Amino acid sequence: MRARLSTLPGRIGTAVAVILLVAWSLGPIYWSLVTSLTPPLHLLGTPSLWPQQISFEHYAKLFGATSMSQGNTVQSVWPQFSAALTNSLITSGLATVVTVAIAAFGAYAFVRLEFPGRDLLFVAVVATLAIPAYTVMIPLYRLMISLKLIDTYTGITLIYVSAFLPLALWLMRSVYQAMPISLEEAAWLDGAGRVYTLVYIVLPLSAPGLIASAILTFLNAWGQFMVPLVFSPTLATKPLTVLIPEFVTRNYIDFGLMNAAGILAIIPPVLLVLFLNRYLVSGLMAGATK
Amino acid sequence: MPSSHPRRNRAPGELALAAALVIPIVVVMGSLVFWPLATSVIDSFYRIDPMKPGTPFVGLANYGSLLADSNVQTAWLNTFAYVAIAVVLETIGGLGAALLLNRVKHGRQWLLAITVLPWCLPPVVNAIVWMWIFNPSYGLLNHALLWLGVIDARKVWFNDQATALFLISLVHVWRMMPLTAVILLAALQSIPRDLYEAARLDGAGPIKSFRLVTLPLIASGLAIALSQSTVFAFNLFDEAWILSGSSLDTRSVIIQVYLTAFQNLRFSSGMALSILAMLASLLVSLIYVLRVYRETRYD
Repeated sequence: MRARLSTLPGRIGTAVAVILLVAWSLGPIYWSLVTSLTPPLHLLGTPSLWPQQISFEHYAKLFGATSMSQGNTVQSVWPQFSAALTNSLITSGLATVVTVAIAAFGAYAFVRLEFPGRDLLFVAVVATLAIPAYTVMIPLYRLMISLKLIDTYTGITLIYVSAFLPLALWLMRSVYQAMPISLEEAAWLDGAGRVYTLVYIVLPLSAPGLIASAILTFLNAWGQFMVPLVFSPTLATKPLTVLIPEFVTRNYIDFGLMNAAGILAIIPPVLLVLFLNRYLVSGLMAGATK
Repeated sequence: MPSSHPRRNRAPGELALAAALVIPIVVVMGSLVFWPLATSVIDSFYRIDPMKPGTPFVGLANYGSLLADSNVQTAWLNTFAYVAIAVVLETIGGLGAALLLNRVKHGRQWLLAITVLPWCLPPVVNAIVWMWIFNPSYGLLNHALLWLGVIDARKVWFNDQATALFLISLVHVWRMMPLTAVILLAALQSIPRDLYEAARLDGAGPIKSFRLVTLPLIASGLAIALSQSTVFAFNLFDEAWILSGSSLDTRSVIIQVYLTAFQNLRFSSGMALSILAMLASLLVSLIYVLRVYRETRYD
């Protein structure tokens, strides 16, 4: 009897807490979506929690050749927006592929092969996780200038790889450590070489770890702001994160446009969370608790 | 030596293979992290300024002028405020979310996905979304508080320094709390169920069993979460930069580094400040780790 009485308030409490957590996490995103679908003039009135009238005007400014703004036909921002979107996809994609490839092969050496200075090197690389990126940014800036890599995909990708490699390496090492060596030994007895075993047996079995590393690297690269702010001065490599805040013009801030662009910029992360959240969370847990 | 090693029959090419696999790591990390880090430390003792001729050795002069600079002092105070607010709110909120997630049986995967989502979004987009909510004329916050009767006139939130610091911290907390929650959830899930049973049989209520069972067993997770929160709050840049730019009221140390180095082009001064910030964030997170371990360890 006592147990039943205590579970009812407990259940209500849990339900309230769940609602609060969901509202806190999704509320701002929902509000941004509503804003992006509200006609510009309605944004200046009393806000309502669901759009009175749905309008794709803000999205039209991003995608159309020209668009209407305060009664005038104006040049749309599609050329800049599409360039920045492409840049974001290319730099994040390249950084992810290169980082995961280097980490997947390198971590194997740290677990299964022996070479002088192995542990020291691993500790040194992982210790850089604690070093904030800006500490190395000024020398890096001068280095990139002398190598003529400012505002190039190569330059940005290299910086991202150096920033996100330690976490991916740590993750992949813990994945290989958890894998029984007997599988590989069976393959060696059959005459398979190290490289063959790694590529055809170890890597396929490590798919969840590879996916987790790839997601974490991609999300980190996709959200980067300070690095491209310094290293991507023009639309040659400027990503969405640097372009969107520039929609603030001198006399007015186009919040409808910024929210619409923001909603488009969060589509890739939202898709990753929707479909691959299991891997993402396991990666976060492994990266944080090992 | 090798004779005592369990696997003597290693392939002759092993060392070459190891080198081939590890060299990319050595090259990338060496040239883009370790070399620049060493350069940062060394160059902070020189005067490196594209606007001035020569790069003379100046000893600790860069550090000395940083200590005397009132803008830098303000930036430090702002950063400490960010760290204090963010760490407290992220830890309380993250622990609450983790306990809740650990309790929920149906749809936990969905709740977890929703909780993690803010961490996955670009910080710049988060800041813009919140900037619109904080907008003095048309923002949701003013309208909601007016409607609830909490305030009787619209407020320009960023006119007041304390409010501005709090709101910027809040945006940062919104993004970083999921990380604390996930770390603590992992720690909670590693606690064996029968420990709670045993505590209950010994007559411990929920609060007592939280204090005697949960807290000591998630101590290492808590230490990691606290260090993460601290390091990230020390590095706060995106939120403050988007929400109020170079304003001195909300300027963090990293914004000060950015302004010094990339807008005023005083490279060596920026490097000295970035090294101080790195040391401070490492030191504070080390203190947490040591304290949490000491206070919750049962020998």
